[in-house]
Amino acid sequence: MGRLILVRREKILRGGQPLAFLIGLTIAMTIGILLLAISGHDPFAVYERMVEASVGSPKAWSITLNRAVPLGLAGLAVAVAGSMGLWNIGAEGQILAGAIMAAWVARIGEGWPSPILITVMLLAAVAGGALLGLGPAVARAQIGVNEIITTLMLNEVALRLLQWLIHGPWKDPESRGFPLAPILPEEARLPGLFQRAHWGAIIALLVIALFGLVASKTAWGYELRVAGSSGATALYAGISLKKKILTVLVLSGGIAGLAGGIELSGNSDRIVEGISAGYGFAGIIVAALALLRPSGVAAVALLFGAVQVGGLSIQTMGVSSSVSTILQALILFGAIGAGVFSRYSIKRVSKEKMDVK
Amino acid sequence: MNSSTPLAVRLVDIWKRFPGVIANAGATLSVTEGTIHAVLGENGAGKSTLMNVLAGMYRPDAGEIQVKGEPCWFQSPADALSAGIGMVHQEFRLVPSFTVAENVVLGTAERILRRSSIETDVGNLAHEFGLSIDPSRPVWQLSMGERQRVEILKTLYRNAQILILDEPTAVLTPKEADELGTTLREMAKTGRSIIFISHKLHEVKEFCDEATVLRDGKTVAASLLVKDTETVELAGLMVGSSPATTNRPVPQTRGEPLLSISGLRILDDRFLPAVQDLSLDVYSGEIVGIAGVSGNGQRELAQAIAGLRSMTSGTVTINGENLTNALPVDRSKAGLGYVPEDRLGVGLAPRLNVIENAILRNYRNLRQGPLLAEEQMITYCEDIVDRFGVRTGPLAEPIAGLSGGNLQRLLVGRELSGNLKVLVAAQPTRGLDVKGVKAIQDLLVAERSRGVAILLISEDLDELLTLSDRLLVMHEGKILGEFDPETAKRHDIGAAMAGEVAT
Amino acid sequence: MTEASMIGLLSATVSFGALLYLAALGELISEKAGILNLGVEGMMAIGAVTGFMVALETENPWLALIVAMIVGALFALIHGLFTVVLGAEQVVSGLSLTILGLGLSAFIGKNAVGRPPGAVLAPVDWGPLSDIPWVGPILLSQSPLIYFAILAGIGTSFFLSRTSFGLALRGAGESASTVDTAGHSVLRLRLGAVAAGGALAGASGAYLTLSLTPQWTEGVTAGRGWIAVALVIFGAWRPGRAAIGALLFGGLLALKTRLQTFGVDISPILLSMIPYLLTIGVLIVISIRARHQPSAAPAALGQAYRREER
Repeated sequence: MGRLILVRREKILRGGQPLAFLIGLTIAMTIGILLLAISGHDPFAVYERMVEASVGSPKAWSITLNRAVPLGLAGLAVAVAGSMGLWNIGAEGQILAGAIMAAWVARIGEGWPSPILITVMLLAAVAGGALLGLGPAVARAQIGVNEIITTLMLNEVALRLLQWLIHGPWKDPESRGFPLAPILPEEARLPGLFQRAHWGAIIALLVIALFGLVASKTAWGYELRVAGSSGATALYAGISLKKKILTVLVLSGGIAGLAGGIELSGNSDRIVEGISAGYGFAGIIVAALALLRPSGVAAVALLFGAVQVGGLSIQTMGVSSSVSTILQALILFGAIGAGVFSRYSIKRVSKEKMDVK
Repeated sequence: MNSSTPLAVRLVDIWKRFPGVIANAGATLSVTEGTIHAVLGENGAGKSTLMNVLAGMYRPDAGEIQVKGEPCWFQSPADALSAGIGMVHQEFRLVPSFTVAENVVLGTAERILRRSSIETDVGNLAHEFGLSIDPSRPVWQLSMGERQRVEILKTLYRNAQILILDEPTAVLTPKEADELGTTLREMAKTGRSIIFISHKLHEVKEFCDEATVLRDGKTVAASLLVKDTETVELAGLMVGSSPATTNRPVPQTRGEPLLSISGLRILDDRFLPAVQDLSLDVYSGEIVGIAGVSGNGQRELAQAIAGLRSMTSGTVTINGENLTNALPVDRSKAGLGYVPEDRLGVGLAPRLNVIENAILRNYRNLRQGPLLAEEQMITYCEDIVDRFGVRTGPLAEPIAGLSGGNLQRLLVGRELSGNLKVLVAAQPTRGLDVKGVKAIQDLLVAERSRGVAILLISEDLDELLTLSDRLLVMHEGKILGEFDPETAKRHDIGAAMAGEVAT
Repeated sequence: MTEASMIGLLSATVSFGALLYLAALGELISEKAGILNLGVEGMMAIGAVTGFMVALETENPWLALIVAMIVGALFALIHGLFTVVLGAEQVVSGLSLTILGLGLSAFIGKNAVGRPPGAVLAPVDWGPLSDIPWVGPILLSQSPLIYFAILAGIGTSFFLSRTSFGLALRGAGESASTVDTAGHSVLRLRLGAVAAGGALAGASGAYLTLSLTPQWTEGVTAGRGWIAVALVIFGAWRPGRAAIGALLFGGLLALKTRLQTFGVDISPILLSMIPYLLTIGVLIVISIRARHQPSAAPAALGQAYRREER
């Protein structure tokens, strides 16, 4: 009886990663079927409803698209930091910070013309997210403080800040004691695109494409890639690592902040505690599945948007919307598992015989 | 070999492949009990791989391992350990935050650890073999020589009968190396067998009984009796039949001083002085060699000149410009080229492609506004690839697939491009095959004739003696002597490397 | 402030502290072996729902606790499989574990929402000892899980510093290749640590639904898993210091609902930011000190290990 070991392949399998993604998706769907069947639902009816609700009609598409916007921006935020080997786990908090800043602008900007108000709101959102990214950025660049932990901790801080605002200073006097902020004025709402879709999709796509272009075509992007490949090499080429760490983490925070601003202005009628439905964390999975590539981020975000919208739709069938949460995590685990086999092969080693490969 | 003495270890026809390299291609080794057995070979000959196979770190693709006549099949270092095989790796396997005693007992201790009792045990064992060390000190505070003693203690504590040392003297001063030799002789007397990996022939001559020579992953000479074998013969076996050696470059008159260093002081990573009050000049058209046991400040010196390590005092002048506090980029603009010791970690970006690596020092000039000018990039890269004979696949593929020699040609070629005045080359030929070594050495000589000032830091004394116009020896961060490579005696250079100033 | 309200505060401090400490200890063991597991929140949720469901079915709280720990360990081994065996990125895998855990627990517990508990872990009866002023109500009228937490803390501390397996486990988090060469299996050490971490997080979750707030609601863990992650850093990876931190953070949680009773005019919400800000502060201090000596953080934390890599 032998043992199984992993052996690195001499060449990475071509097309291994997209294949891994599909395998991951298949594994996730299969486990989903089992879960649904065990709990007494008809899995295929549930899946059919999910597909119908997410991509079955223009309206479904518009809802999915709206959902994909914060996912894509959060995914891009993580990917931007990831291009330098940094982990921004704080997109969740940065989304909240962005929403807070945008809401603040909406409060003080009463009566401004709509285009100006929205523009300032979104810029403020970027600033809010960037500000939350700044602390971890400085700590990482100057002292080498692990950004994973600092960004993670700031999520909770931002959440508390938001809670405090809507329970206290920003509480709507007309909310009859409920901790609710006032409804946004009509001028603060992003214009619609088709059906339920709003302009956020265009903005997100532009931002993602712009970053993709900057990363691959400009000297700045080149420096970023050198620094991501080897820090010492970057220093040697005269690229300031500290500056790059600082810009990248702040930029990453700003992008996540933008997601918060768009979410507020496009999707929500007021700022609420749950304005980010876990987009920051889902963004990490999106970025990981996209292998940190901007184009991949857009595609995976769309898929995850569909899965989430589908998940919400099945509640009416008496199925927990958590099915979609489970599916998202399983897609990632499945893809990681499958991805390993594009880089490694399994080999059996036995005591009796050694085979020459 | 005396056939009546039992064999401690026999490795038969070992094969081991790694992606892209065949490290062992039918290597054999027989070690007689109670002897010190040298395993010789150039860098990349497969010595370390073969030893890692014996120590259970690697599983061989084919071949047989016998310990004391019994065939063995090691799945892990644990298996090898229980068969009595201990290995001291080139990079120490120590936990820096643990104490000496904790490191020694790791993996062997009783279930419950009693700090005082393990410290006494380890202290006694160290005393028994004359290894002076404080068992209660954390390892991160120890010098390299002390750390090596901890590694040896680990194997002794496990009562290993077969001890493998992978280039143990690379980090030692000659005096420490002699002490190590004495310790090893003591251990051999107790019946232990020692496998000593090295490429320093004089050490092999001094304290080894037998020697096996590897080349290109194969055994080319097995169990030679060291006392009956000439050093020259061993060297010949290591290098192969027709080693391509560079001839000494024709003398030429030197010009202006292009690199001037004075009063340089540098700290190492542990904030201890690495370079102390060092001054030197390198003139146009000469190669100044720096010799020394590794870890005597050469690395820090090179990094400081390149602008990658800050200095606590002193000045660095390149081509008349004072660049003491200048950024690496500005030094490069002033005409400095730098071939770092750590090619993939410092000199190249492994995940990027050939073009992106080729433009690393010059991308600022290949721009159109904020964008990189793609066509110019390709032209620039093709020029380097052609001129320096870099063999690559598609230029847009990551450099990870290139061989060591081609990586170095790409790196050196890139550094030699542009307006070069001064070149600092740290271990430029280390780990390359014979052809690669020759190619790089020829490039250095060619630059010298063009009037470039070259500071060559190398651990290979032969290379230094061949290429240098002047040879400086570094010891503990200072220059202890200047030699004329034409006339200097190896013995004198060795004495300077050991810190004994020749009078 | 009355004596009764003070006792109430301290008593709640101890019970919240124990809740956080159990999960933090688990994370500490895992990180000491080199595996960062950001799945604590998810593992706690799984432990919480498992404990509650088993108690509903069997009405045996002890069985519920044990099953919650076993399921927590198995659930954590998903992270172990991906990070230790397959060498996947620990941050991504851990966060996915949290997402999976939150989703699965909501799915499993859907029909248990709002139901009364099948059984609870009743406070230990210490007889007349419980009547000792202060000590009695604060320490001797508590859920058995706080004693479990204390024992687990002492046990972990002893295990890590005084046993050879503890030494090897710490070694795996500092320098995996060293431990491997010394003849220990890094794979087993790390998987063991991850499973132990899951079991303790499971216990912490079960403590919530079997003792602290004996009912199941989606999201019952309420971000406490993240506090547990913070505690490990706040305690500089030491069980003893983490215990102090647990009491401090537990005290803040306990204070949150009592501020108004004490007539203090600070928003309880702002107060609950403190643990996270403190942790960031401690991490900065640790990072500054790491310039001159080995960091308090395990050196190989977050790094996958595979032997035959070159």
